[in-house]
Amino acid sequence: MKSYQLTITVDDKLVVLERILQVTRYRGFLIHGINAEVNTGTNIGTIELMVRSERSIELLVDQINKLIDIKEVKVANSTAK
Amino acid sequence: MANEKKQTGGSLLFNVMQQHGVEHVFGYPGGAIMPIYDALYDSDVQHFLCRHEQGAAFSAIGYARASGKVGVCLATSGPGATNLITGLADALADSIPLVAITGQVATSAMGSDAFQEIDIFGLSLACTKHSFQVTDINELPKVLHRAFAIALEGRQGPVLVDIPKDIQLAEVANSLEDFSKLKNKVKLPPANVGRAIALLSQAKKPVLYVGGGVGMANAVDELRAFANITGVPSVSTLKGLGALNPDDDNYLGMLGMHGTKAANIAVQECDLLIVVGARFDDRVTGKLSEFAPHAKVIHFDIDTAEINKRRAVDSAILGDLKINLPALEIPLAITDWQQKCQQMKNDFAWDYNHPGDNIFAPAVLNEISKLMPKNTCVTTDVGQHQMWSAQHMIFNDPSNFLTSGGMGTMGFGLPAAIGAQISRPHDTVIAVTGDGSIMMNVQEMATMKRYNVPVKIVLIDNAKLGMVRQWQDLFFNGRLSETDLSDNPDFIMLASAFDIKAKTISKKSEVTDAINEMLDHDGSYLLRVQIDAKENVWPLVPPNTANDRMMEST
Repeated sequence: MKSYQLTITVDDKLVVLERILQVTRYRGFLIHGINAEVNTGTNIGTIELMVRSERSIELLVDQINKLIDIKEVKVANSTAK
Repeated sequence: MANEKKQTGGSLLFNVMQQHGVEHVFGYPGGAIMPIYDALYDSDVQHFLCRHEQGAAFSAIGYARASGKVGVCLATSGPGATNLITGLADALADSIPLVAITGQVATSAMGSDAFQEIDIFGLSLACTKHSFQVTDINELPKVLHRAFAIALEGRQGPVLVDIPKDIQLAEVANSLEDFSKLKNKVKLPPANVGRAIALLSQAKKPVLYVGGGVGMANAVDELRAFANITGVPSVSTLKGLGALNPDDDNYLGMLGMHGTKAANIAVQECDLLIVVGARFDDRVTGKLSEFAPHAKVIHFDIDTAEINKRRAVDSAILGDLKINLPALEIPLAITDWQQKCQQMKNDFAWDYNHPGDNIFAPAVLNEISKLMPKNTCVTTDVGQHQMWSAQHMIFNDPSNFLTSGGMGTMGFGLPAAIGAQISRPHDTVIAVTGDGSIMMNVQEMATMKRYNVPVKIVLIDNAKLGMVRQWQDLFFNGRLSETDLSDNPDFIMLASAFDIKAKTISKKSEVTDAINEMLDHDGSYLLRVQIDAKENVWPLVPPNTANDRMMEST
């Protein structure tokens, strides 16, 4: 089980946070921490997501990147647990 | 040039549709979408009233798949919207461009558990490519343009636009300005063609594995040119059928769970798999860890997320197949391998000799595909008849074989055929279905009647849920749980209630005349083909088994 921190920059559209949470769960990643700045009126939102999974983080990054309102996904760190 | 005349949201919807070339839509009215249906009254867009919203969604999918255009369906809020969900899921799984419009309760009532209110926007997250809920009339034009663009952009898919009733009624100073195509935000890395060419030129036993992406990319010609010039033996997924030239000696048929023996053995033995618009679906790979165990992989796709998803690749070629496939067109010296594959194709060819007088479904379907007019579009439902159609019918283009691949949705075939027929009024459309599947959207016979849609229905009737029955016999000790349908309605009487001419056949001697009568009939027709309930689909790769360890007819 590995733990990762994702920093996701988004176009700050309705339900973008829900979309990310849905994809993260569906693709087999457990969220154990979240910090979101969305609906701030700036058009750009930032979501930090701490996730754990047996699966490769690239699988999740690719799927989040497919969401229409995503600008950038960064994997900030990667630590074995 | 902007047109500043005010119009309602409902009216704007149809004007934007027309800007995007939409001529036909499928739907069902209800309370929260009444302003849109009121605007429809004055619109040139032609609406087809289906008899269930799921039927509307599948007709829109059939329309899209048969024509290459975006399919559009409409439904009201609450149950109307939830009834679309299976169609949206089907379109997502098979990457079908669809725009679904749902009415919603007025913004002032949203979130109050109002009559026929459901959070379809929330429900859409898992079954659409993208979705919108419009709460500001001024956003509506942009949202609608984006919905059509997103449905078609990159890997195609369904988009839902939820429009509250007050937004449908609100006036907007539009703005029928030219829409601009969505910019592809995903910067695809330049394809590493050099690596792929090296792999290809070193391969001694390459196989071309073709999926539904070829048809979606409109790249049938480029694929066939690639197959011709390289001479690589080729196999197809369910959704890829029709992409390769069926007369090509190097084409080995469908691979996977019900694939041909030649196709599956070739893939298991190959040293290079050239994957084009396919995604290593579990019904294709069987036991993934033993799939094509000796092969390096070149993967062509438009969707970055499919690369390395289920199988690590040696070379990924991302982007438009029409551009990328020609870059790898190099003649190969693989005569021994070609001959071996062609030998397997001959050795393991289908055998239509079948003892007794009872009808053999594979032979009927093969004969239909030989007798049907050129460019006939065939749809299927899901189950044994679907796999027999995939195995034994011959298609010249992916848009001529419409089947629910990823989602495997029973009830798909009849409404999809209606949509296909409306998009291609001059082509024959045949819905191959089963006695289980047809009952899942049988109400769409009323849509056929209402609009005189001349779909031909071939009902393969074994009075069973045949595929489940087959698995119960093979893998559940013959414990036939809830798969007997011997109390089905009289399908001939049922068809006649909808003005559909119908006939039953049960003997081999009746087959040819019956097919010709159906094809020659001017109008809708249901041919009920009674078959032995014990017939199984062969070959079959059992679950979690390598594809070369298939069960075969004894």
